[in-house]
Amino acid sequence: MSTQAKSAYFVRTALGSMWRSPFVHVIAIATLALALVSFGIARITSGQVDALMNALGGDVEFTVYLSPDAPEDKRDELAKALAARTGGEAKLVTPEQALERLRLQLGTEGAALANVGENPLPFSIEIALPKSERDPASLKALAEKTKALSFVSDVDYGEDALERLNLIARALRLGALVAFIIVFLTAVIIVSATLQLAIFSRREEIEIQKLVGGTDIFVRMPFLIEGLLQGILAGGFALLSMYALVRIVESDRGSAVAFLRLQGHVIVDWPRLALEQFSIGISLGLIGSFIAVRRFLKV
Amino acid sequence: MIQMFHVTKSYQGDPPVLVDINLDIGKAEFVFLTGPSGAGKSTLLKLMFLAERTTRGQVLIAGRNIARIRESGVPYLRRNLGVVFQDFKLLPTRTVAENVGFTLDVVGTPREEVRERALKMLRRVGLEHKADVSPLKLSGGEQQRVSLARALVNDPAILLADEPTGNLDPALTVEIMDLLADVNARGTTVVVATHDASLIARYQKRTLRLEKGTMVADEKGSRAALLMALDQ
Repeated sequence: MSTQAKSAYFVRTALGSMWRSPFVHVIAIATLALALVSFGIARITSGQVDALMNALGGDVEFTVYLSPDAPEDKRDELAKALAARTGGEAKLVTPEQALERLRLQLGTEGAALANVGENPLPFSIEIALPKSERDPASLKALAEKTKALSFVSDVDYGEDALERLNLIARALRLGALVAFIIVFLTAVIIVSATLQLAIFSRREEIEIQKLVGGTDIFVRMPFLIEGLLQGILAGGFALLSMYALVRIVESDRGSAVAFLRLQGHVIVDWPRLALEQFSIGISLGLIGSFIAVRRFLKV
Repeated sequence: MIQMFHVTKSYQGDPPVLVDINLDIGKAEFVFLTGPSGAGKSTLLKLMFLAERTTRGQVLIAGRNIARIRESGVPYLRRNLGVVFQDFKLLPTRTVAENVGFTLDVVGTPREEVRERALKMLRRVGLEHKADVSPLKLSGGEQQRVSLARALVNDPAILLADEPTGNLDPALTVEIMDLLADVNARGTTVVVATHDASLIARYQKRTLRLEKGTMVADEKGSRAALLMALDQ
């Protein structure tokens, strides 16, 4: 008994079958590719939401307002401590600098500030946070800890807007996950049914193989190889389709979905997406073939 | 070579197909299995190559109790048996030689050897010149010879044939039966299920007769043919 001869036979049989009945295999590959494209779109959308969150997080201004009785050395000490704790840059803003900024922001209306007697604005520390500290949970934790410190009167980082944004992001991610699960289950059912259709036309071959002494694994192997090849081909087609889709979104023709573009282009981690597409494609092909051939093995 | 002890086969909700069958077929023996349609001939053959399992009783093939063989062991039993069917069971998408080589493919025989042995077997059944054509281009008799070549290419100890001439005219029937007789002469045990009385009369072999799932006669040659002719 030769393993090499058997392996050669399996590959030969699988390729021969694909060559002899291209139609059913094209249908199976198209079904798989369609499922993979749906998954890929969900994945890219989810990636865009993440990128959007990161981009918005970059605009977060984390400002610590100090109480009027904070001594000068404490103000500096606090700024340095916050910079060290967050890994970001802390800048001490004096009441005069704050008033000047306000005047500039108000523009022509700024003249009204001349009538204000004593400067009511407090000393504050503005912190440019590193990326890792910009998510809502980290910001909230940092704010709570900072508020508890001596000489700190208040902390502001646009909490309400950020919370709302985070809720929207979570809803989008959940929607993408639900859509993915529905698409995946539908794909498994359709792929299995399509492969069963392909295998049905070869039930006589399976019956004869079993009658002349073929083991279940011997009968299954060519079908599994076909499933594997279908998965690979479907993964390739799905990737090409998604690349084309992304290019369309990025071009002028994609103005209707312009919100998907960040920094002028759609952010996609192509190597990771390719790995996922091929892995899922191969898994679907193998599982679909395994399930589909099972009912014909009883001879 | 083939022994059965008190074998019964029934399907849930139906009357038994076989009832208390006992038989003993020796090595290199040629046996006809006969009886009217629905008598249980095909089921008896199916029990021998484990396409069906007995409800009760024991089946021994070459001394081995096959009732105890697990599903995973069935292919290994079948590799020592050759089976021929009335409808030939040839694959139209493969050539004649590939159909014959199928039996060798499942045991991992190298491709060149498969071809060589398939051609040798086709020569034996007189079809070497048709090796590379589709079975669809062959006559019924030729297709059954291909089917026979496939059953024999692995040199089995037992050949089971279920109505092998059922779809053939008298001339082709004789052709196939002569081949089966030749196979038997070379030492293979042959069991042929048929309801054709002329075959039994012509070949004068041991005949087991089934009726309504029961073994009603175990006769030799001419007497069996005479009884069958009277029945018909």
